[in-house]
Amino acid sequence: MESQQEPEHLPSGPTEVVNSIRERTIAENSMVVLLQGLQGQVTTVDLKNESTARGRVVNVDAFMNIRLDNVLYRDRRGQLTQLQDLFITGRNVRYVHIPDNVDIMKTIQSQLARIHRVRNFASHGGGRKEFATKTK
Amino acid sequence: VQPTTNTVEEPLDLIRLSLDERIYVKMRNDRELRGRLHAYDQHLNMILGDVEETVTTVEIDEETYEELYKSTKRNIPMLFVRGDGVVLVAPPLRVG
Repeated sequence: MESQQEPEHLPSGPTEVVNSIRERTIAENSMVVLLQGLQGQVTTVDLKNESTARGRVVNVDAFMNIRLDNVLYRDRRGQLTQLQDLFITGRNVRYVHIPDNVDIMKTIQSQLARIHRVRNFASHGGGRKEFATKTK
Repeated sequence: VQPTTNTVEEPLDLIRLSLDERIYVKMRNDRELRGRLHAYDQHLNMILGDVEETVTTVEIDEETYEELYKSTKRNIPMLFVRGDGVVLVAPPLRVG
């Protein structure tokens, strides 16, 4: 039945939400949602191994794994490397610099709203009553 | 991102009392942060604003075996801190 399945084609880009229920639940209960809302922005990630990576956030998952593109990677000695694509394991993240123009509360709220919209779309009977659905 | 209660029930609630206040965070690898706490979660992932990071290193003189403590500071306007690096959270230390 269609109402039991995850929606198959979600728009990509900043409005994208993960298809896995488990990841959505993990993400909505932690601050990772803020990092997910940074998709498309250029930020600097400080790694635990004292290196830094500055690039555009492609995607952040519930485990804080981060994909960046157009990256300037600086190793612990200060040597610079340009990388087209970089995947950072969540465990290796020490800091993520938040760009000045980001409104933190708004970003978190809109990410949570996206997660709840997808959850309502997929669940039978309209989902949670406190989040009004557009159709039906 | 949980709804908040008013009573202090568990250690994390003490951190909740510091929301929007300046705090001191001791981190692993001899780092310290001082900044304004904007948000946190159960993993102690935190958003800190107006942060000063202090990294302390010790050099040992090979002849005199003297310990030379050096600290490097930098300022960052808004920082997301991954919780597994956090050792302790406290009100800012008073100097002197």
